Amino acid sequence: MTGRKILMNFEVTPDSHTLGAYLGRGGYQTIAKVLREMKPEDVTKEIVASGIQGRGGAAFPAGRKWQVVDPHDGQPHFLIANADEGEPGTFKDRWVLEHSPHTLLESMLVAAYALAARHTFVYIRGEFDQPYTRLAAAVEEAYAAGYFGENILGSGFSCDVYVFRGAGAYVCGEASSLLASIEGSRGYPRNRPPRLTVKGLFQRPTVVNNVETLSNLAWIIAHGAEEYRKVGTPKSPGTRLISISGHIQRPGVYEVEMGYSWAKFLHEDCGGVLHGRKLKALIPGGISSQVLTGHGAKVLTADSVDSLLLDHQALWDVGSSLGSGGMIAIAEGTCMVRLLQVMLRFYHHESCGQCTPCREGMGWAHRIIDRIVSGEGRPEDIDRLLHISKFNDGTTICGLGDAAGYATIAFIEHFRDEFEYLIEHKRSKNDGRLECLPEVANA
Amino acid sequence: MPEIFINGQPYEADPDQTVLQVALANGIYVPYFCWHPQLSVAGNCRICMIEEEGRGVDIGCNMPVKAGMRVLTESEEVRSHRKAILQFITLNHPVDCGICDKAGECVLQDYHYEYNGSPSMSGDPKVRSTKFYDLSDRIVLDNERCILCSRCVRFTHEISKSHGLGIEQRADVSLVRPSTDGSFRDDPYSDNVVDICPVGALLSRSFFYKARVWYLTKTPSVCPGCERGCRIDIWHRKPEWQVQSLDTGENTAIARITPHENSEVNGPWICNKGRDLARIFERRRADGAMLKGKPASVAEAATEARRLIKAAARPVALVSSWGSNEELEAFRASLGSMFTALVKPDHLPAAGEVLEDDLLIRPDKNPNTGKARELFGTAPAVIPADADLVLVWGEGCDFSKIPAGARIILLGSWLAPENGHADVFIPVSIQTERSGHYTNCQGVVSGFEACFPRAPGVADAEALFAQLAGAAP
Amino acid sequence: MKHLIPEFEALKTRLPPGLDSILVLPCLRRIQDDRGYIADEDIDGLVEYLGVPRIQIEEVLTFYTMLRRKPLGRWHVQVCRNVSCSMRGAEPLIKHLSNRLGVKPGETTADGRFTLSTVECLGSCGTAPVVMVNERYHELQDAQSLDALLEELK
Repeated sequence: MTGRKILMNFEVTPDSHTLGAYLGRGGYQTIAKVLREMKPEDVTKEIVASGIQGRGGAAFPAGRKWQVVDPHDGQPHFLIANADEGEPGTFKDRWVLEHSPHTLLESMLVAAYALAARHTFVYIRGEFDQPYTRLAAAVEEAYAAGYFGENILGSGFSCDVYVFRGAGAYVCGEASSLLASIEGSRGYPRNRPPRLTVKGLFQRPTVVNNVETLSNLAWIIAHGAEEYRKVGTPKSPGTRLISISGHIQRPGVYEVEMGYSWAKFLHEDCGGVLHGRKLKALIPGGISSQVLTGHGAKVLTADSVDSLLLDHQALWDVGSSLGSGGMIAIAEGTCMVRLLQVMLRFYHHESCGQCTPCREGMGWAHRIIDRIVSGEGRPEDIDRLLHISKFNDGTTICGLGDAAGYATIAFIEHFRDEFEYLIEHKRSKNDGRLECLPEVANA
Repeated sequence: MPEIFINGQPYEADPDQTVLQVALANGIYVPYFCWHPQLSVAGNCRICMIEEEGRGVDIGCNMPVKAGMRVLTESEEVRSHRKAILQFITLNHPVDCGICDKAGECVLQDYHYEYNGSPSMSGDPKVRSTKFYDLSDRIVLDNERCILCSRCVRFTHEISKSHGLGIEQRADVSLVRPSTDGSFRDDPYSDNVVDICPVGALLSRSFFYKARVWYLTKTPSVCPGCERGCRIDIWHRKPEWQVQSLDTGENTAIARITPHENSEVNGPWICNKGRDLARIFERRRADGAMLKGKPASVAEAATEARRLIKAAARPVALVSSWGSNEELEAFRASLGSMFTALVKPDHLPAAGEVLEDDLLIRPDKNPNTGKARELFGTAPAVIPADADLVLVWGEGCDFSKIPAGARIILLGSWLAPENGHADVFIPVSIQTERSGHYTNCQGVVSGFEACFPRAPGVADAEALFAQLAGAAP
Repeated sequence: MKHLIPEFEALKTRLPPGLDSILVLPCLRRIQDDRGYIADEDIDGLVEYLGVPRIQIEEVLTFYTMLRRKPLGRWHVQVCRNVSCSMRGAEPLIKHLSNRLGVKPGETTADGRFTLSTVECLGSCGTAPVVMVNERYHELQDAQSLDALLEELK
């Protein structure tokens, strides 16, 4: 058990995603209560009081984002659920979309009411098929039942939701490029200022929240902020959906209460490292935590994991972050140089090409790591990689370049010997292994 | 007015300004590629890094002014970032200045010397890309030199509104490409992208490998292509770098034409017609006076013209709408009382030419119609049937409309079949050989200066009018 | 593309009015589902229907990896090779498929049945390695299960 549950508080059955099942779990009572009893600012106040932090990666207090938007300023506002789950290692929002899409939809209604957003969107990554099918079906059910559309539940509040499918661009998980994508353009991130809550979609105030963040709202309003703050830790209230993959016995999505022990989670709940191997390193929150954020998900070594609690502050204190909740366990015997190669190839492929440091730096880093892996490395290559990382940190429009740098710096900092060995001996210290095979474990 | 501190000194700022704008307005230079005062902020080149004390570096072009803020433009942090950005920019740039037309006026070249100065940190082969890509029949794109600042793209979206260019693909294989609907080819302002390209990626076909810019000088002028009268610079060979052999015609040829930036008329833009003025000015010149087709000296021709004017009972003059204010004034002072003067359009819109738009192009394809009408009235240029002498100044006269038997004095600059049929033909100088002013459709007066000496055997109209009026020859 | 306009019109009922450029990606995806790729005439039709500059659509078509201007094989086999899938054997899987189909990633078999591609993270890391065939995810794949899958697709 991984602590108390907010989202995974029901048994998954083949029909858990349907409206019938959701109503059976008490669904859509919260929005009914909100529309009946609460003013938009009461909802925002409650969310601020709950202290919930964004679950997309940056962990910015969700309520504070909302407070920028004045529901009574008379201009159109937009609410967008970010379901462009593309951060490698992250597949938690998919769980919500596949098993409880109505939780998201009801929470979006709550948020739309608080923000006076007449039109809302769910931006779902283009490749997702089943999550899309289930969400789209849920949207139709909700419309048919009168939860979306004109004059919802007779309250006078009207709200539409549109499920917008991406088309294959990791960078669109970054909120401003997501907006560009909805606007019908290529997904170039935008410079801040202005903030999206001031000028977002079509230059209108727009709130972009992660699916998991939004999905918590119905519970928070139903039970109250005070009750929510009893879950988790004082600085990081609530739970996190953690998706764990890589060299782990029982990969999957877990809802973990904040403050839970990492060691317990990894070694007991997830069954420990594959084939009984020792943990070499852990990527705590997606390989870059989240495109937007400046807090990178640095790699953690096995020693540092044991003493950690699952908590945003605790992770920041050790120079990393819970990021997007996409945990990747790396077993002893894995070649960290090859693993970084996979990551840098990814960042190069996904760089949108807009701003200089990332456009040029990602390709440069990728070419260097390819050369190192192929045995053509040069001693100065390690410094070059660090240089590229340093000058992508905070110099780019979005966080993609920063994130690649965090991964690079963390890998080199902790496993510099593997890089040096490969450059000097022209072969990997770990035979270039990425997999964790049983025979290796026995060898 | 908020006050901000740049490098420790206080400066008044407009609340809508960015820190970059405040710095530049106060003579503090901050390098920039993608920013352009007439275009939206793209913030993609990242070279204009400015350090806000206590907050680290960020791009100045998107940094709003806050009262009391303290910024540094030359701190160690700023300089190291600029250098790193230049290393990124030149990573895949070919650095082929030796064969690049932009060399000598290239911002990247200047910044490299000023802010980088080091060889590339990368020893790896550069990413290759398309060379000599024809964006249109006027403009060549070198994708290897392109730094993807997007100025050209934004120009077509925000200024010319042709939406002719875009950036395709992504990451370090991103490419500037024209829309396949030909909207860039048809954009009458397309050549401006060559000017605003901070590197040698966009080059003009008409100037391609024609001259190194340091052998050229520019003379301020005014485009006569329409009544907007855009201020331009005419580029030509420097006197100290005259070609001594080969084709000496190079010395008096227009190398290229660029906008002469100003806030009154045309900002930093001109249309493509203005770039192609050589097509007008460099037509074959009429280089000798003639009397009924027989060569004569200008003095002889002027004497004959004076005689014809004196003898005429109902003389009519077709005044040139290409004449300068000074020439028009001189005509009125000397000959105005002797003639029924009518203003004629020297040029009518050519087939396919853009007639009018919201940016610069005006329907009247002559630079000084306004001034000419102010002096000579707005009557249409219809020659009365009883005219017995017609003085035609400039182009655009339909000679079939001249009454039979009327004598003709023609003042022209280029070879034309009519020259030999006139009773008197006197060649006159063209705009690039003299100075003067035009008054444009908004009433703004712009001046032009001589680029080249007047061709031998060619008269200056301003002085000629007094001669024709009967003053001492 | 013209026959899809009634469908596109229906989408507008839940969208903010007057902001038709929102439909660029939805329309392109729908057209691709219909035809298998985006043809020149589709772009012409969309430019006319949505009133957006052609270059905007051309940029979009080259930016998003899922959009294509040419038809692919009957079955588009995409193998994820990002971190978690690589750690669970994606690389040998790509080699296996490449050998079996006789094509390199990015190529289509001569009979036009299969196109093999590699792809970055599909968000299925917990059930790695994942292979996407057309729209469907096939999770926890190995050489045997893929062989069986290919048999089924024949």
